[in-house]
Amino acid sequence: MAYWDSEFQRVRSPILGYGFAVVSVVVATVAVLAIQEYQFRDVELPLLVLVIGMVTWYAGNGPALLCVLLSTAVFGYLFVEPIYSFYVSAREVPYFLIFVLSAVIVASFSAVRRRIEDNLRHARDRLQDELEQRQQRDTEIRKLNQELTARAAELATANKELESFAYSVSHDLRAPLRHLVGYSELLQKHAANLLDEKSQRYVQTILESAKRMGNLIDDLLAFSRIGRTETRTTAVDLQQLVADVAAEIGAQAKGQDISWNIGALPVCYGDRALLRLVLVNLLSNAVKFSGTRDLAKVEIGSVDGHGDKSEIFVRDNGVGFDMRYVDKLFGVFQRLHRADEFEGTGIGLATVQRIVHRHGGTVRAEGTIDRGATFYFSLPKAKQPVERTVSVP
Amino acid sequence: MSEFGRILVVEDDPRDVELTLTALGEYKLANEVVVARDGKEALDYLYRREQFALRPEESPAVILLDLKLPKVNGLEVLQQIRSDDRLKMIPVVVLTSSHEERDKLASYKLGLNAYVVKPVDFHEFINAVKELGMFWAVINQPPPGSAKKVL
Repeated sequence: MAYWDSEFQRVRSPILGYGFAVVSVVVATVAVLAIQEYQFRDVELPLLVLVIGMVTWYAGNGPALLCVLLSTAVFGYLFVEPIYSFYVSAREVPYFLIFVLSAVIVASFSAVRRRIEDNLRHARDRLQDELEQRQQRDTEIRKLNQELTARAAELATANKELESFAYSVSHDLRAPLRHLVGYSELLQKHAANLLDEKSQRYVQTILESAKRMGNLIDDLLAFSRIGRTETRTTAVDLQQLVADVAAEIGAQAKGQDISWNIGALPVCYGDRALLRLVLVNLLSNAVKFSGTRDLAKVEIGSVDGHGDKSEIFVRDNGVGFDMRYVDKLFGVFQRLHRADEFEGTGIGLATVQRIVHRHGGTVRAEGTIDRGATFYFSLPKAKQPVERTVSVP
Repeated sequence: MSEFGRILVVEDDPRDVELTLTALGEYKLANEVVVARDGKEALDYLYRREQFALRPEESPAVILLDLKLPKVNGLEVLQQIRSDDRLKMIPVVVLTSSHEERDKLASYKLGLNAYVVKPVDFHEFINAVKELGMFWAVINQPPPGSAKKVL
């Protein structure tokens, strides 16, 4: 590479280039004159042509033109009869023309050659630049990769901490609660005769609060477990699952008339246990919030036409909700109803959302106050038709 | 005439000990209960070391074992029991606050007999412990060599 570069040492400054042309022609002329002194003949033509080639090569087109003109002048003036005049005699015209022709041809060849070499050089430079850029990019990518690895490690640590946090909550937060409940009950039993009505109500409130807190902790733990446990994805027949869940909830809701209207439901991909939890939450919500109706009407169906996803809806004729608060609906511990209206910890819909998100789906809700609510969730469809388990009625 | 075995309760929390004894007391099982306050004490009892050096030779009919214990935790105690030929037959019931799947898995892998989550609700707790005591100390026939007392 160093040899290649030195081959291509070029005269860059224009002044130097033109100076080089003039000096070369002068030196060549002096040399020719000196050689002629020693009776050597006809060296002027090759020597001047050589000089033209050299100048074109090293100094470029401008100096080459100057060099051609100068050497033609010198040739005409000094080496063509009559000597010391620019006049060319008829006998010398061919010789003069041969010189001019040789000069122009050598100059243009040299110029073409020079251009090609220049292009090659540029191409090589570009390649080298690209190579450097690529190396730089590679370094950047490697750096980013390292950062990513570090970030992943951090995330794993954070996850582990979260897990051990949830674990501690599960172990340690429950024990004092159990004691709170236990000793309150013992107090109730032992001091039943000593406590007046008011005091007994106080103890009762302590008990209920502690139990409520126990439920909150259990729900929160179950919620956090959704994110931590691995999912086992299989094809799940929603038709069957909804029927099972509806039957179960119907059995639990004693004294409430429920009319179930279950439409055609698809087979989806998902974790059966988690999807069951989604349906339990949505269906029991539908029943719960229709508790004030004489007949609770719960409709479950699916909407097609969402690409590779199916959208399932659960509609009720219950108390509904104000669409202004729809954003709060799926938040953890968010409730749109007072505790004395409808019981609950406010984690059901958050659980629904979390499970559906883990399945790559979305949730949304529509509602009108006193006119019922509809909850939608989407799930990936099972790609191949799956044989359904037929339940015998 | 019936007979019942001795129960070893391994529990570090004095309040849980009291509630457990209250529950066992309902079936008059409480006076045959030995309480160990941590995993080390439980092993001391089983190996008749230190303050238990002079205890009667028979093994307890059942061990009610908490998992989260100071010094030696419940799983370590269980592992020790199951890896010792003289102790491995003793029925062990884990009685814990933990609902966690990994605790259940680890316990059963070590050869646990039953896993009971302490209910938050007092009545449920009392009932659970009572039933446990009744089943393991009275109904169940413990391995030969367990402490039994004729009523």
